[in-house]
Amino acid sequence: MEALEAEQVSNPIVDLAKTVWRDYSILVVFCAIVLVCGLAAPRFLNPGNLLIILLNASIVGTIALGMTIVIIAGGIDLSCGPVLATSGAVLILLQRMVNADGASTVPLPVAIVACLVVGAAFGYLNGLIITRARLPPFIVTLAVGYIARGLTMYSCRGATIMGNNFPGILGNGRLFEIPIPFVIMLALAIAFHILLTRTKFGSYVFAVGGNENAARYSGIKVDRIRILTYMLVGLCTAISAVIEVSRMAAVAAASSGSLYEFEAITAVVVGGTSLAGGRGRVIGTVVGAIILGIVLNMMIMLNISPYLVLTVKGGVILLAVLLQSRERS
Amino acid sequence: MTPSATAPQRLKEAGPDPTLRMRGISKSFYGVEVLHRVDFAVDRGEVMGMCGENGAGKSTLMKILSGIHPQDAGEVVLKGQVVPQGATPRQMQRLGVSMIHQELNLLNELTVAQNIFLCREPVSASGLIDFRKMNEDAARLLGKLGEKIDPRRKVRDLKIAQKQMVEIAKATSFNVEILVMDEPTSVLTERETRILFDLIANLSAQGIAVVYISHRLKEIGDVCHRVTVLRDGYLVATKEVAEVTPKDLATLMVGREVKDTRAADFAGDPDQVVLDVRDVADDLLRGVGFKLRKGEILGFAGLVGAGRTELMEVIFGIRKPRTGSVLIDGKPVVIRNAMDAIRADLGFVTEDRKETGLVLCRDITENANYVTWQKTPGLFKGRRTTAANTRRMIERLGIRCTGAGQNVSNLSGGNQQKVALSKWLLSGAKILVLDEPTRGVDVGARQELYRIIRELAAEGVAIVVVSSDLPEILSICERVIVMHEGRVTGELTASQMTETKIMYCATDVGAGGEHGGS
Repeated sequence: MEALEAEQVSNPIVDLAKTVWRDYSILVVFCAIVLVCGLAAPRFLNPGNLLIILLNASIVGTIALGMTIVIIAGGIDLSCGPVLATSGAVLILLQRMVNADGASTVPLPVAIVACLVVGAAFGYLNGLIITRARLPPFIVTLAVGYIARGLTMYSCRGATIMGNNFPGILGNGRLFEIPIPFVIMLALAIAFHILLTRTKFGSYVFAVGGNENAARYSGIKVDRIRILTYMLVGLCTAISAVIEVSRMAAVAAASSGSLYEFEAITAVVVGGTSLAGGRGRVIGTVVGAIILGIVLNMMIMLNISPYLVLTVKGGVILLAVLLQSRERS
Repeated sequence: MTPSATAPQRLKEAGPDPTLRMRGISKSFYGVEVLHRVDFAVDRGEVMGMCGENGAGKSTLMKILSGIHPQDAGEVVLKGQVVPQGATPRQMQRLGVSMIHQELNLLNELTVAQNIFLCREPVSASGLIDFRKMNEDAARLLGKLGEKIDPRRKVRDLKIAQKQMVEIAKATSFNVEILVMDEPTSVLTERETRILFDLIANLSAQGIAVVYISHRLKEIGDVCHRVTVLRDGYLVATKEVAEVTPKDLATLMVGREVKDTRAADFAGDPDQVVLDVRDVADDLLRGVGFKLRKGEILGFAGLVGAGRTELMEVIFGIRKPRTGSVLIDGKPVVIRNAMDAIRADLGFVTEDRKETGLVLCRDITENANYVTWQKTPGLFKGRRTTAANTRRMIERLGIRCTGAGQNVSNLSGGNQQKVALSKWLLSGAKILVLDEPTRGVDVGARQELYRIIRELAAEGVAIVVVSSDLPEILSICERVIVMHEGRVTGELTASQMTETKIMYCATDVGAGGEHGGS
């Protein structure tokens, strides 16, 4: 130990580099990726292109933020895609309600709040079953996902439902040229970062994921923390649903949000959060989501067959996980 | 029961051709030297004790021997043959080196026989595993150790001492020449320990060399022929056990004089009862009660399985009893979960800090503050208060660390224990339960913890110390309650206590005799 300290004192630059690498390696890797992509396809660095990447990363990225918290607490949520469809459908169905004059009967803000409540409620249901019945989150959220998808199909009769002149500002709008979905995601990311690093709740989330027993013996209400994490991911999913509906003005009962949960988990894992729980960072997830967007974008830039998208994604996941496991050992 | 492992007699020096000779072994991790030109030899049939504080280099030396780490310099010679640098654990095993780690390495879901013959299962003519032969062989191996365990049982269902026997059977199933045991008795009861010692004597008589690592210096005197002391990566001494007392060893380990203290009787107000536990009963506990006074250090002695930890879990709201009541400061309280206990100013430093005490992947600050955060209102942690509190604890308890931001997984056992304790001190607990407070803690840190415990009691904190280590009870407890199979079987004040009296109450011999619970 003493020798280690001596070494650090003797070379502050090396020390700084080590700290940066340890805490922000994902950012370093990210910059390297951007640089390489820029060299391979100069068009990639075009501001318009970069903004499109951010826009495309936002919907899954927003879900991934909530997923990060669930995963840090030692859980997982496979119901996000279906819950996105359900809460989106609730939003559209409420917004479409009109009176005889053709005017909406439910004000849009009310419809949006209802959508968010539905998302959080599914999270609550997930958390409740997982903690009360002591069942593995994997299977519980998978089942709840099926239930949500089925309910959506039923209430939409399996069809795609269209909004009634749904305002597109949340999905397609720009704030100082930056896509609003990305602004929302960034705001949420900052909020979640503060939540995880500065609040007691954040510390308890890490404690529950790191060692549930020790957390319980310290008086932490483990079940309550668990349920709250699932409600947070449910809420994030519903926020994504609002953005998605605003972009598309429609929800396809059978396919909206399909596989989003796995894309979100991918972003979380690429961002360096451990699936074993107890470790992880929100900033990593943001970068992870953007890296996935870049991969997709670069394939188009480099004229690689779109049919290979999944293959490349799989490779990226393996590479990211491999690098992280090397780093740890 | 006859005292086992008779006093060792032979050997001044390792013979000219010992089973094992390690010469000039050096090893560094990340530029820090953890072993410095260590020369170490064990003769055929010799039981060699090895002691040293945590971080002295014992484990590293043994890991080099068993092929887990390669040495930076020096050579390992087994029966006159130089072992090639970089031999794998498997190769070392084939050369006759077996190691039993402190944390047992068994697969819980497999049977005893499957564990013993893992990856070497006997195969029948049809190419499938020959379970009958495997079970027979396992039973024979266990029989040789004098142990009757059904080889078809799952390891999960075994008691910890039995699991250890399975590990030993596994080790002896190889053509073992040298067997390394790392802290084998830390989880055993006195009686199981004696059985283990008989077994070691038996192995030694068969010509197997045994390296016996232990923090319990008395045991080394009981079971070993010679003893080697390591300190800070240097081999300090190798001595005949007959020539050294446990006190000498402790002095060699820490490099300074260690005083052997005895606690005095409780001198505080006997009427100031802060904790009154009455008639706790469940499947294991059979009507247990006791009183604890302000500023008192009360010991709980007994064998593993006597129900001491379970009693504490009931008090702390982790375990639900069938009957029983708890009074704090004379008022009945209902404690249904840990949070209720915390509100009643109870603190519980658990027996297994890795499982229930600490969140290892988090830093000192977080671990020290979990309880305090819950007692204070507000959503945010309050960086400044939190940092100040943590600093205070680090200074007060003398936690050696690179900073409050260090992960507790990187701390030594003693410092981890201090962090586990700081969680409760910081939250202002007035009644502290310490379950095996010095398990896996080295001698120096152990004395420090004793000092802290005495200081806390002097400040008025009422303390319960559950311990299976009798010298520990004798040196810090002002009163001891002895339990056996869910019942209180004796109560002694400091001036009445002797190891024999406590053991008498803790075993079947004393059970059913005088009842002393208050």
